[in-house]
Amino acid sequence: MDLISLYPTWYEPTVGSGWVVALIATFHVLASHTSVGAALLFAYLSNKAYREDRDDLLDFVKKYGLFLLVFTYVAGSITGPGIWYSTTVASPNGIGALIHSFVWKWATEWVFFVIEVVGVYMIVYLVGRVDKKTHMKISVIFGMASLATMLIIVGILSFMMLPGKEAWFEEGGYLNGFYGTNTFIQMGMRMAFMFTMTAVVGGIVVAGIKDPAFKKEMARKLGWLGIVSTLIGAALFQWYLKSVPDQALLVMENRLPDYFVPSIVAVLSGTLAYFIITMIQPKTLVAGFAGFMSVTILVAGLWPEETARESMRKPWVAGQYVYSNQVIGRDVPGMGIQSQLPLLEKVGILKAHPFTPPELKKVNDHNMIQAGQFIAMVYCSNCHSPSKTGIRPLHRYFPDNITRERMEKYVKGVLTSGNIAYMPKMPMLDSEVKALSAYLLMNKKGGQPAVAEAIKQEVDARNRALAEKQAQDKVAALTIPQEEK
Amino acid sequence: MDASQISQVTEMMYALRNPAGIPTYPIIFIGLGVLTFALHILFVQLMLGTSAITLYGAFSQNFYWRRLGAAMLEIAKVSVSVAIVVGVAPLLFVQVVYDPHWYTSNVLSAQWVIGFIVILILAYWAMYFYYFRNSKNADKTVQPKSRWSMVVSLVLMLIVGFIMHSLTSAILHPELWKEWYIQNGVVDYSGSKLHAYNIWRFAFFISMAIPVTGGMLVTYRRFKSVREDADHDYLNWAAELGKKWIKIGSVISAILYVAWMMTIPETAGDFATSFWGIAGGIAVLLYAPWAMWRLKGEARICSYMALPVALVIGLVVAISREMLRYGILNDFFHYNFLDYKVVMDWYSTGLFFLTFAIVGGVVLSYFLTIAWKTGQTVGVYTPSAAVDRLGTISIWIVALWIVQFFVVGFYIWAR
Repeated sequence: MDLISLYPTWYEPTVGSGWVVALIATFHVLASHTSVGAALLFAYLSNKAYREDRDDLLDFVKKYGLFLLVFTYVAGSITGPGIWYSTTVASPNGIGALIHSFVWKWATEWVFFVIEVVGVYMIVYLVGRVDKKTHMKISVIFGMASLATMLIIVGILSFMMLPGKEAWFEEGGYLNGFYGTNTFIQMGMRMAFMFTMTAVVGGIVVAGIKDPAFKKEMARKLGWLGIVSTLIGAALFQWYLKSVPDQALLVMENRLPDYFVPSIVAVLSGTLAYFIITMIQPKTLVAGFAGFMSVTILVAGLWPEETARESMRKPWVAGQYVYSNQVIGRDVPGMGIQSQLPLLEKVGILKAHPFTPPELKKVNDHNMIQAGQFIAMVYCSNCHSPSKTGIRPLHRYFPDNITRERMEKYVKGVLTSGNIAYMPKMPMLDSEVKALSAYLLMNKKGGQPAVAEAIKQEVDARNRALAEKQAQDKVAALTIPQEEK
Repeated sequence: MDASQISQVTEMMYALRNPAGIPTYPIIFIGLGVLTFALHILFVQLMLGTSAITLYGAFSQNFYWRRLGAAMLEIAKVSVSVAIVVGVAPLLFVQVVYDPHWYTSNVLSAQWVIGFIVILILAYWAMYFYYFRNSKNADKTVQPKSRWSMVVSLVLMLIVGFIMHSLTSAILHPELWKEWYIQNGVVDYSGSKLHAYNIWRFAFFISMAIPVTGGMLVTYRRFKSVREDADHDYLNWAAELGKKWIKIGSVISAILYVAWMMTIPETAGDFATSFWGIAGGIAVLLYAPWAMWRLKGEARICSYMALPVALVIGLVVAISREMLRYGILNDFFHYNFLDYKVVMDWYSTGLFFLTFAIVGGVVLSYFLTIAWKTGQTVGVYTPSAAVDRLGTISIWIVALWIVQFFVVGFYIWAR
């Protein structure tokens, strides 16, 4: 069988499918991290309310809980599976690799997720309806269940960067894939930052507290929580960078946008300053200020962090064996997985792709641009948009005066051999090299309108040829019986 | 289709399988998928039915309807959450053994898949908007404000339901995938179209909201009737309404089921007249006589059985639905999920089932006991010693789970 596990391609011309995933993921991280941090905070506050017999703390839990229920649990519980949906359409083999290795881990997380969702309703709606001791117990269970969801997902996220243990490649096994240095450091880092987010978002609720003394108490509690967690998170981030493969650091140094480091430093400093100000002067803690900080963390902190994590994995998208363009680029004997590169080198991408249109299986002068576009969509579009905008647009990577010969030399010499460290090896037959080069050149010179026009001409010519052939066949069919007569 | 075309489709589906295989026997994933789908669709139907009652109550001049509308809004809110969280499970399991089908259908309608997320969030927020606009009003018989938002919520919920229906329908047509992807000789990378639907199938699953919500109303009466402040006239009215909905709704759903079976793809062969083809419709229809027979008068026990019976009916329908999929993909296209490569992983398999049974079982028993008792108590509920102890056990069980996570993790790490 000459087919490999490649799905149709979804191409989003405006921002690119990769950014659609990143947008949903970033929003989900804010919602989910805040929820988990808040769940642990609720456990602490509910316990304190029970020990000290305080209604004001439970009232705060109720208000913050209701706020979270609407803004983070609703959106978080939808954007969670939403990440599955978006990665399914943007990177089906990436998510497939994770699902097939960690289905039971996700199923286990689901059990805690169910507990969490039932728990949040109970936390909010049972304040004043059950005694404080019972509320405390519900809160503790809720907090631990929320934490468990995070523990589980971090192992899967770590696998995206690299399997926990190198032994996974030879021996396979869920445990080898899940647990590793990167897993534990990332776990600590995420836990720290989740408390930071809890403290910032919680400020929106603290801002609404009328009693000045209670407001001061809560502002201080959240302030200390935020300061300590931000400092620990920042330290763990430095450690985290030491646990990623050298390749990832190379990508980070060369490929991340210039604004990445200043943005992260600014947001961390700004967050610390915010906590200090609101602790010293709780009056300054108004909903607008806290809301502004939440959005700042989302835009200037989480967005660069999530896109960086995404970029650093290149050329892989999962487990250091699935390329970002969905091709399996490495043997994993422990799982019985074979690299798809040898087959691609032998038969070419057009023949190996299950969804190649029959008329594009072999490149000729009449399908050159269409075949080139198909190859570009499969091999390139996940990381480089063929449009003017979107993620790292293809046209920006070539000089204006590039010729067809130079383009072919580049495609053949660099892409098919995998000579760029952070790009996958993309095997192609010589005819496919020509087709991709022709497409890239046309995309560079005339953009998408020129490509669309060229494809239209190719299709029209093909349809005309087909119609002529059908007409000739008809004539032949009519002629033969007459001759027989 | 001739044998060669079928063979090409079979080859394509097998090629798309994930080479990593699956960590246990495929039938287990199908079983869990069917079970969790039945639970998911029950809450989807509850969500739709209770939302419809809320909406009708909002526009009605009848005080009972308005009260019922306000009460059902509480159930609708929780049902959406539960439908989403429970829906994660069948979504997970379908992509384990039917990954070639699920991923292809999703990519070919990618814009709708992304739209699903946004629309669902808006639908849920619209419902909460309506709730917050009216929640502070203690008198539930006055005309609610911002009724439009509840209309928006329900319409958007139906749209997301249709998207999901279409994606699931596309799975059943592997012979058309290439046709959808390559239109008039040009590859369509946009994912802008929903490609498949069967309006009768969709209408059937939506219509099941009527009898299921009827079951909810009967349960609601029974649950609230033990409270000291219960208004029995109102509750009896709600229960009678529920019984009517079960009887009429079951007949409507059964008719729509027959319409669905009459319009299944040709590739399904004679599934409509097979055992499972008939069983689904019979199960739905049986809900009406069950209600007439078992819900007479007080029906103190059977009122609580109304929703579990609806779940069992949903389970039979879920099995029929799964058998239809198997019939098309295996019998016609020769894709057999049972021969998926198994790379057995006992630890993660065992850990899930233990977590599901012990952690899930104990903690949810505790949570639901507390919620149940609180709902029936006027004032503050203080649990008995036994329930309190269940809470302590729940805490220890979750704590132990976390401990084992780290113990195993550090052992593997250090090894």
